[in-house]
Amino acid sequence: MTVAGIAAGIEVLAVNVTMLAEDLVLNFLPSRGESSYILHFDEIDIPGNGDNDTAVPQSSPSAEWPHSSVSLSDVTFGKVVNYPKDRMIRSLIVRVRKASLEHLIQDFDAGAVNAILESAGHEHSITWPITFKYRLLLNDFMSEIVQHPFPELFTIRNISILIEYLLQQFFVMDKLGKEGNVLSIQDTHSLSRVEQHLCLHYKKEFPGIEKLSRISAMSPTSLKTKFKKYYGETLFGYYQKNKLEHARKLLDNKVPVKVVATEIGYSNPSHFTLAFKKEYGFSPWHYLNPH
Amino acid sequence: MKLQDPVQQKTAMAIHWQHLQLPIGLKTAAVRTATDHLDLALPDFGEEGLILTFVNYKGELLVRSGRMPDEEGQPASPGMGLLSVADRPLAFRSSGPIHFSALVLFIPAQWIGVFLKSNAQFGKIEQVLATEENIITSRLGRRQMSLFSAALAHFESMGEDQLRIQNNVLSLLEYFLCNRHRSLLGVTAASDIDNEDDLSLIREVESYISEYYCSDTFTVDSILKKTYTSYHRLNFLFKSIHGMTISEYIRNKRIEKSKEMIADNAKSISQIAYEIGYSSISNYILAFKKVYQITPGKYKKQMDNLA
Repeated sequence: MTVAGIAAGIEVLAVNVTMLAEDLVLNFLPSRGESSYILHFDEIDIPGNGDNDTAVPQSSPSAEWPHSSVSLSDVTFGKVVNYPKDRMIRSLIVRVRKASLEHLIQDFDAGAVNAILESAGHEHSITWPITFKYRLLLNDFMSEIVQHPFPELFTIRNISILIEYLLQQFFVMDKLGKEGNVLSIQDTHSLSRVEQHLCLHYKKEFPGIEKLSRISAMSPTSLKTKFKKYYGETLFGYYQKNKLEHARKLLDNKVPVKVVATEIGYSNPSHFTLAFKKEYGFSPWHYLNPH
Repeated sequence: MKLQDPVQQKTAMAIHWQHLQLPIGLKTAAVRTATDHLDLALPDFGEEGLILTFVNYKGELLVRSGRMPDEEGQPASPGMGLLSVADRPLAFRSSGPIHFSALVLFIPAQWIGVFLKSNAQFGKIEQVLATEENIITSRLGRRQMSLFSAALAHFESMGEDQLRIQNNVLSLLEYFLCNRHRSLLGVTAASDIDNEDDLSLIREVESYISEYYCSDTFTVDSILKKTYTSYHRLNFLFKSIHGMTISEYIRNKRIEKSKEMIADNAKSISQIAYEIGYSSISNYILAFKKVYQITPGKYKKQMDNLA
């Protein structure tokens, strides 16, 4: 666990544990003087879940919170973050002074955000399920920060990108909420189980709608519609985008195209090339040799 | 890139930098233009710090750094980044028509102190820049090129999405510094190749070229046959080490040699062309012009006048 003061008004706490031995509780006391926000990005998973595909998780409506999530909270009222034991935790907690956040994002409308946070009840906090973009970024952050030549630059860049994602999601969710498209807690959990399954098993073939429907305990049709609305992508589109982002990561690390294709689960490299070209508009080879 | 109406192009207005102050404390400026003639200096930020410039273009571009106005400048290559000291003049010139786009990032000295100084190697970068008129360059990959053009596109929709511009620019900065960091640590100068086999292959090819490049039967194919590599692979390796394709490398070697021969003033230009392996004199003249921006005949005259 590391804490770093980056620039005036921004503090970062990173948690990266493969298996938590005991429950971890982080208690942020109400801030005196200047008020601030806490943004946190948590990826919580049962260790070894990625390798073992046989067990379809049981749908338990009681849903064991906390899930993998991103959240924005007003820390003026204090904040408690809870991590259960026996889990893998990847988490980035950013505390930003309100003034600094406004500085970081010039067209940031603090008034609107405050209003939404206040309407969120006594916790003054809103939480959304995580998406693959955050997962990839958290993954990169944790694995690269250790040996990055410019850790401060690397950190501020990643935080800045996380904030961009968060704001995008914030406005999408706010709009959906205003249109009356609020999902029940149960649906939210079901969808995030599907999302997690799609993200973790990117090396395997697309699981197919029947299986996903079982995981989510929803009918195929309502799963498809709700997922599209909530994540902005079809089930397969989401799975494919995540898969290809992993491929791109490998290409960035100079892994040969053939190896990448096998690595992310294509038996035929030219299928991979086609999919890559469809997504990004250029082939893997051209990605590596742009000039 | 959109082509401008040819009439408009002729009466092109003065080219201006479009400025933007990023929330995080960096300043940035961008320009995108299609013009007949370019002479564009970096904007003056009136502060101490470093300037990182990314350029892309279609045409011929020279980069002139320092305070020597009579110097022609160094030829650039499309899709490159240049790091320079803020108070030194740096200009981009082109005597012919050019599609040119650039993104400038100004990094104030104070910002460098907070975000970059923790790296002990960064001092070396500053040292290199402090001596004479040095600039540090690096080529951009596909990922970086897409960041670059995305940032420019956001610029054109003017400041709507500052956070995006900021993120693109920060990623570019990080890429540039990490790339330079690796080479300054001495892994392999100015290249991404850290594989012994690849390096020895390149050395072998280089020595083969320097032995046979003047022969008129010498082709790139003969190299491929000799080394059992594919054209793409070899070109890729050449580009990462020399920043040019293998045929450009061979051409430059031949033209360099011919320049020496002209200076010796013992042979006619057509004789020289055949001797360095060109089968047609007009091909030779074109190649010479591409490398030195002057025809061999004019160059010979210049040399004669000097003598």
